[in-house]
Amino acid sequence: MSIAIAATALTKRYGRTKAVDRVSFEIQAGEIVGFLGPNGAGKTTTLRMLAGLVRPSGGACSMLGGAVPGPELRQVGTMIEEPSFYPYLTGRGNLRHAAILHGGVPERRIDEVLAFVRMENAADKRVRAYSQGMRQRLALARALLWRPRVLLLDEPTNGLDPAGIAEVRASLRQVASEGVTVLVSSHILAEIEKLVERILAIDRGSLRFDGPLEGLLGAADARSVRYDIEATDQEALLAALRDFGLEPAPHGARGAIVSVPSDRAAGLVGRLSTAGVEVLEARRETATLEDAYLRLVGAEGRPS
Amino acid sequence: MSATLNVLRAELFKAFRKRRFYVLAALYWVLLPVVALITATVLDRNLSASFANQDGTIAQVLQGFASPFGLARLALMAPALMSPTAYIIAVALFAGMFIGEERSQHMWKTTLAVQPARLAVLAGKLAAAMALLALLLAGALAISTLAGAAGTLFLPTSFGGPWGQVAGLFALQWLHLLAALALAYLLVFLVRSGTLGIIMVIFLPALLEGLYTILNTLAQLQPLTRFNALFQALKLQQAWQALPHYFFTANLYAPARHPLGAFLQSTGAPQNADLGPIGNLLGQGLTLPHAAAVMAGYAVVFGLWLAWTLLRRDVE
Repeated sequence: MSIAIAATALTKRYGRTKAVDRVSFEIQAGEIVGFLGPNGAGKTTTLRMLAGLVRPSGGACSMLGGAVPGPELRQVGTMIEEPSFYPYLTGRGNLRHAAILHGGVPERRIDEVLAFVRMENAADKRVRAYSQGMRQRLALARALLWRPRVLLLDEPTNGLDPAGIAEVRASLRQVASEGVTVLVSSHILAEIEKLVERILAIDRGSLRFDGPLEGLLGAADARSVRYDIEATDQEALLAALRDFGLEPAPHGARGAIVSVPSDRAAGLVGRLSTAGVEVLEARRETATLEDAYLRLVGAEGRPS
Repeated sequence: MSATLNVLRAELFKAFRKRRFYVLAALYWVLLPVVALITATVLDRNLSASFANQDGTIAQVLQGFASPFGLARLALMAPALMSPTAYIIAVALFAGMFIGEERSQHMWKTTLAVQPARLAVLAGKLAAAMALLALLLAGALAISTLAGAAGTLFLPTSFGGPWGQVAGLFALQWLHLLAALALAYLLVFLVRSGTLGIIMVIFLPALLEGLYTILNTLAQLQPLTRFNALFQALKLQQAWQALPHYFFTANLYAPARHPLGAFLQSTGAPQNADLGPIGNLLGQGLTLPHAAAVMAGYAVVFGLWLAWTLLRRDVE
């Protein structure tokens, strides 16, 4: 399998601030990779450098084997930040403009991508009348117009309703199944979880995690375990958990939710019984991507 | 090359869907011939039989500006005699359409992501504006000629005139506008504001040239000023005095203003008329080859600066 996207010690400085600091990764052709990070972590700057829009201050990146910027960028579809269009042109007009600008895109392809993102009925309206969701769909259509081999998508589901999000997810899966490499950032972690096989997590410009989704979830589980416990006496339950050095949060009338370091998780219920707490139910919760992500980036990290 | 052609086609696709292009074309193509023909008709009706036309002066005047050739020449000259000129207004509009709008609509990142060859994007955008300017000028020449031809039906005018010369001046004026376009693109791109860039395109050259005039006046005041002393000490006096020959504005409009002397003579002004203070403004004494060389120099400098800026700048 060939490498579709590569970054080597990729760095971007704005004055004395390092927006991206020696980020390195490789993405194989056909992979679908999620790019996570809080606001200002460096996701968009990294995507811009990969798309040839921003010049790295250090390091290098390549796309489909060619250095960026270079002719290989013509085989990349991008959707970076707010989708922008000429408001006085129709949706179809904007796609036709992009098709001419790129070159070599047959006219029928415009109808194909419009159908693919379910925009056929609105295609002949001027873009200034489009909703945010319609703009997102049109931007995705434009990114797919010349059958790119790589897709760089920054928050592609922004502004979409739940049905639209599911449609975009299905569309991206279909695109990826055709061998297109997809690097997608999203603030909707549940969506990323359903879509990608691998995660790149960036925080304060540095890559904090690069591995399979299961690896990130497993790493989170390995550090701590979350319990949802119900007991006959909530006050006694909370007091006992605090005595164990934990920080429980009341849950409902009789319960508590608590995060327990993995090495202290075994026998928790037994120890509660010993402490005189009558436990009715204890559920061990598997870490979600959000849990894992928040643990990775720390308490101050918030999904962007 | 194909990338540049793609950009050219895409920009023209966009431009032909903009209303402002048609408004500009309509004003330029139609307004001038209509006003000229109405004025000529009024003159003809009221003065042809009067003492003012004793030696055929009125007929001469009508031939000068309302004949097919006269109107074609007027379509070349008149836009360069306005303030700001119609040429620079067209250039500023195209700079706004092709460069300023990319910023105001946040389209740079999209454009350069779709077509990553930045120099091709720049060349295509310049070519698109030059193509539209060619269309405007050719349309003005054709429609003025047609209007003048219609005028021959009710005015004492004829088709005669040095047509080859006026067609050549149209072509030369069109080439000169490349330097103005490069400057306009550069300013709009550098100041990161379409509106401010357009204002600068229209007024900056005139402002700089006006500053020269003020400095020159101060330098010639008696007693000897510091400026004068400095220039004399550095032996720069001649260069300083020759500076207006390299001014952007005068050289830019040299082809369009070239027929002004002949036009004034055709309307009855004495031969070798000294245009006085406006002569400097109009670039009196500038030869066309000199003006062409100066504008080529400006085009190269502004073009290289623009290319360097576009290649280096991050697209946010």
